[in-house]
Amino acid sequence: MKSSLVLPSLDRDSRVALLVLGIGALALLGLIALAGESPLRILAILIGEGFLNRAGIADSLVRSIPLTLAGLGVVLAFRAGVFNIGVEGQLLIGAALAVACAPILSPLPSALSLPLLLLAGTLGGAVWGGIAGFLKARFGANEIIATIMLNYIAIQMVSWLIRGPLQEASGIFPRSDKLANSLRLPILFDGTRLSAGLIVAALACVAVWFLVARSRYGYALTVTGKNPDAARYGGIRPGVIAFSVLCLSGALAGLAGIVEVSGLHGRLQEGFVGGIGITAIAVALLARLNPIWVPVAAFGFSGLYVGSDSVARLTEVPFPLVHVIEGMIVLAFLVLQILTMAKER
Amino acid sequence: MDLMFLTGLLASGVRFAIPLLFAALGETIGQKSGVLNVGLEGIMLVGAFLAVAFSVATGSPWGGLLAAILGGAALGLLHGLFAVRLKVDQIVSGLALILLGLGLSGFGYRLVFAGQPSMRVPGFDRLDLGVLSDLPLLGPLLFSHHALAYLGILLAVGLWWIMTRTGLGLTIRAVGENPKAADSAGIDVDKVRMLCTIFGGAMAGIGGAYLSTAQLAGFVEDMVAGRGFIAIACVVFARWNPLGVLAVALIFGIADAAQIRLQPFFPQVPYQFFVTLPYVLALVALAGAARSSNLPAALTQPYRKS
Repeated sequence: MKSSLVLPSLDRDSRVALLVLGIGALALLGLIALAGESPLRILAILIGEGFLNRAGIADSLVRSIPLTLAGLGVVLAFRAGVFNIGVEGQLLIGAALAVACAPILSPLPSALSLPLLLLAGTLGGAVWGGIAGFLKARFGANEIIATIMLNYIAIQMVSWLIRGPLQEASGIFPRSDKLANSLRLPILFDGTRLSAGLIVAALACVAVWFLVARSRYGYALTVTGKNPDAARYGGIRPGVIAFSVLCLSGALAGLAGIVEVSGLHGRLQEGFVGGIGITAIAVALLARLNPIWVPVAAFGFSGLYVGSDSVARLTEVPFPLVHVIEGMIVLAFLVLQILTMAKER
Repeated sequence: MDLMFLTGLLASGVRFAIPLLFAALGETIGQKSGVLNVGLEGIMLVGAFLAVAFSVATGSPWGGLLAAILGGAALGLLHGLFAVRLKVDQIVSGLALILLGLGLSGFGYRLVFAGQPSMRVPGFDRLDLGVLSDLPLLGPLLFSHHALAYLGILLAVGLWWIMTRTGLGLTIRAVGENPKAADSAGIDVDKVRMLCTIFGGAMAGIGGAYLSTAQLAGFVEDMVAGRGFIAIACVVFARWNPLGVLAVALIFGIADAAQIRLQPFFPQVPYQFFVTLPYVLALVALAGAARSSNLPAALTQPYRKS
């Protein structure tokens, strides 16, 4: 009853948006049917394995640590209208710099060496983000292309490092030596892989929230993103904002990288980023660029990822479906935006 | 390094340039009309996959090409619906395309080809122009490419002519420069932008198809490897001029071919440094050419009638 009352009051844009989304959802069901599976069964596995059983929740939490940190970085940049797509590269360079510093740090007492290790990762990410920031501020280079090119360069650099200067002493596999125990983030709960990185991520959330909601810098970011001309008029220099926010955004991605290495893998190895870069963007968008919602969105996407892994293992539906769903979620976010805009009008 | 090496390098540079050329030409037209599509990478992936799947299914690379064009146009239409019709953030809509392309191509590939041992993909054959193709040096360089390569070059010239010399080109440029004035002149701004965006999608689809059925023979997940983004860098570096796009795509193609062919000459340098060459080049190009007066004034700005 109620829907028939609501629908006619929607304007044309909202109806088109909902129609596109509906067709998309049907297409998604069609894809699952194409793989010869029942959508209901897939949904049951996806939710059951990703969100509802103990092991699934633990795995989802493990994955949401780097996603939260990287997602916070994306939030900062996007708030300023700076599209940092370079999370992956910043994360890799952060992790690589920290692992390179590990031999110098490990003789120090743990209370000192672990924070310094995290700092090194943060710095590495900041430098990599800063390069794109410099190119944008100084030459007006489009940051989307710049950060993506830097991603590919970072992937090749790490590929070389783990076969060259940073390769394990035995020289067998393309990976670094394991970090000393004093440089590992401790495991929080026995029997899980959940590390103290969870605390780092929670602290980062509070810090970014404070920066965004309570500081002048955060205000400058938002104004620049919403109305660059007004910002310039108000004495905010867009170049300075672009450079600084890409450094900060990269710093958080770099922190995500070293937390992932120190808390989970213990060493630098190929492919440990596992699609975190692009998912972090979806996380930030779904959180509507609000730092408080980032961990929630990160947990949601992590559960989706863990659940999709089970789906691929247990059924005929291939794993890349997860990216189709992520893309649909981004489009759904846009539809939501159109609906709220229509309401405000 | 002798003459043979050089012609070999240039000829393979042309082959590497063609996928970039198609995607960048389409993006040029889209951007000229005021629509930025950062999702080329995703569209090229879908094009590459569809081309292989339908080449195998129909037994002809042209069947694959048609499927890639239709798939690319469909994704272009989706981008147009959100970016032009619904006027949301063009960049976010483009990001969704990247994810969708990555997912759809990977999903389709594992579904259709999983577990199959290497199969023969009916790819495009090199054109045999008889005497011309057998010419020493010039033959391999100019007269022995795939039909699509010549089509791409013709398109570059044709699009340049359309954009600079015809009323249609003027309409597209007006919509991207000053949509309000275009609207007053009776031009349907959204319709022009929509068509240009669909065209851009179809062209990116062709770029992907060339990659998987002419340059290589088969599909590998994530095989586009950033070429969609390099294509956007090409557009910027060429200052939105189709003939410039042809030149810049050739530079990138030759750089790509060079990094592969130079590796054996410098065994002491890690190969990863060579692989980064095109990406570094794109960064330098971006920094050098970003502030250009040719930038369409209304790029990324949706047009609302007031």
